[in-house]
Amino acid sequence: MQLRENAMRIVFMLAACFSIVAVFFICFYLFINGLPAIAKIGPLNFLTGMEWAPSNELYGIFPMIIGSIYVTAGAIIVGVPIGILTAVYMAYFCPKKIYRIVKPAVELLAGIPSIVYGFFGLVVIVPLIQDVFHTSGNTVLAASVLLGIMILPTIVSVSEASLQAVPDSYYEGSLALGASHERSVYFVCLKAAKSGVLAGVILGVGRAIGETMAVIMVAGNQAVIPGSLLHGVRTMTANIVLEMGYASGLHREALIATACVLFVFIMIINLSFSALKRKEAKA
Amino acid sequence: MNKFVKGMFAFGLSAATLVGCSSSGSGEEDASAASGSITVVSREDGSGTRGAFTELLGIDDGEKDNTTSSAQITNSTSVMMTTVEGNDYAIGYISLGSLNDTVKAVKVDGVEATQENIESGEYTVSRPFIVCTTGEVSELGQDFMNFIMSDEGQAVVAEEGYIAMETTGAFESNGATGDLTVGGSSSVTPVMEKLAEAYKKINADANISVQQTDSTTGAESTISGVYDIGMCSRELTDDEKDAGLTPTTIAIDGIAVIVNKNNSVDNLTSDQIKEIYTGEITEWADVAE
Repeated sequence: MQLRENAMRIVFMLAACFSIVAVFFICFYLFINGLPAIAKIGPLNFLTGMEWAPSNELYGIFPMIIGSIYVTAGAIIVGVPIGILTAVYMAYFCPKKIYRIVKPAVELLAGIPSIVYGFFGLVVIVPLIQDVFHTSGNTVLAASVLLGIMILPTIVSVSEASLQAVPDSYYEGSLALGASHERSVYFVCLKAAKSGVLAGVILGVGRAIGETMAVIMVAGNQAVIPGSLLHGVRTMTANIVLEMGYASGLHREALIATACVLFVFIMIINLSFSALKRKEAKA
Repeated sequence: MNKFVKGMFAFGLSAATLVGCSSSGSGEEDASAASGSITVVSREDGSGTRGAFTELLGIDDGEKDNTTSSAQITNSTSVMMTTVEGNDYAIGYISLGSLNDTVKAVKVDGVEATQENIESGEYTVSRPFIVCTTGEVSELGQDFMNFIMSDEGQAVVAEEGYIAMETTGAFESNGATGDLTVGGSSSVTPVMEKLAEAYKKINADANISVQQTDSTTGAESTISGVYDIGMCSRELTDDEKDAGLTPTTIAIDGIAVIVNKNNSVDNLTSDQIKEIYTGEITEWADVAE
C-alpha cells in the first residue's frame, strides 16, 4: 500500500516536472541559438534598427516589435469590451434558453483552427476594408479585428467563470442596499471578479501576440512601421514564419533571435500578470 | 438612472452607424481598375520565386533587393492568388504551374507567359528547378536521377506544365531496390511526386517517398543524410555547394505576373514591372495604355 502510494506520487511529480523541463529546454535552446546572432548584428542595431532586408544584410526588427504591439493593442480594443460584456451577459442577463446556445458557440469559437480564421479574414474582412476605404485591405485594422475575434473565447470563458464564482451574497447585499440589477452587476459583481477578468484579458493578450498563421494572411506583412490603421504591418511571429523556410546562415539565426525577443515579451506579460496578482492578494 | 447602460447604448449606436457606413461604402465600387493606386504583392525575402523574380527583372541590382518596403508580403502561392483575386488593384507573381483562371497573367514585353514562349526564350521570367545530391548517392538514387533526366522523366516534367531539359535518351533501369527519400522545395514537390509515380511503374520494387518542406531544408537535410535527394527551387548557395552538394537542373519553371481579372491592363514592359516593384510607379493610370 505504502509502496503504491509512493510510486504514484512519483508518477504525479514526473508529470508536473514535464512541463517545467519543456519550458527550460525551449528557453535554453532558443537563447543558445539566438543570442550569438544578436551579438553579431549588435543588440542596438538589432532591436532598434528600422530596416529589415536580409538579402542586404540589414537586420533591424524595430518595425516588427512595434507591429506586434499595434496589432495586439488593436485586438484588445476590439476584443476586450465585447468579451467582458458577453461574459457579463452570460453570467447575469442571459435567459437559460439563450445560454444553451451562446455557451457552446463561444466554446466552438475557441476550437476553430487559426488558419481557418485567417482564411475568413482573407475572404471576408480584407475585401470589406478594401471596399469601405478604397485601399488595400491587408492592414493593421484587418489584423486587429480578426485577432479581436480570436481572443474572444479566452476572455469570455475566463471572465464568465470568475463572475460565476462571485458569491451570491455580494449581489444580494447590493440589491438590499437599494441598487438596481444592472448597478449591482457592474459595480459589485464585476468589481469582485476583477482579477479573474484581468487574467482572461492577459491570456487573450498572450494569444494575440503569439498568433501567427491568421495574422500573416491578413496583415500585408510589410516590414515597416505602419503610418496608420490602413497600412500593412508585420508582427514578430509573422517575420519568423514568413522567412524561416528559405533562410540560411545569419538570416536564420536572426529569425531565431526574433523568437528570443518574442519570448522575452511573453515573459514580461506573464511576470506583470503575476505581479499584479500578488499585489491584489496583499491588498 | 445609470451611466453604464447609457454608455452601452451609445456604444451600440456608434457600432450601428459604422455598419451603416460600410454598407453604403461598398456600393460605389468601380469595376475597371485602370486607375487607382497599385497594391504590390511580393513573396518573402529568401523565397526561391522572389529571388528569381527580382533578379530577372533587375529589381535586385546585384547588390541589393530594391523591392519597395510598402509591398505586401506573403509566404504562399495560394494567399498571393487569393489576394490578387480579391483586390482589383493588386499585382503579384506566381509559378506558371500554379496559374489558373481566378487571376489574369499579363504579357511581359508583349509576350504571353506560356510554355512555348519560355522554351523559345521569348518569355524571360523563369527559374530552374534543382535536385541536389551528395557524392555518395545510392544505386537506387542514381537510377531515379537517371530516370528524371531520361526521355520518360522529362516527358512527365513537360506534362506538368514545366519546361523540360535536354534528355539523356530512353531510360533503362538498373533494377535497384530499396528505399529512397526525396525532400525539399514545395514548388518542386508536385512534379517530383509525378516523377516518383512514373518511376514506380517501371521499377515496382523501389519505395520512393517525397517529403515537402522547403528549399533550404531540402539542401540541409541532404547534407546531413536525412534525404537521399534534395529539391530546391533556387540555385544552391556557395555554402551548400561547399558542403558537398551537386546540383542537377531537372526543369525550368516560368514565373507569371498576375493581376486582378477586372484590371484592364494586359501588357506590361519589364521596365514597368521593375518600376512598380521598386515603388517608382504607384498608380495604375501610369501604366495603362
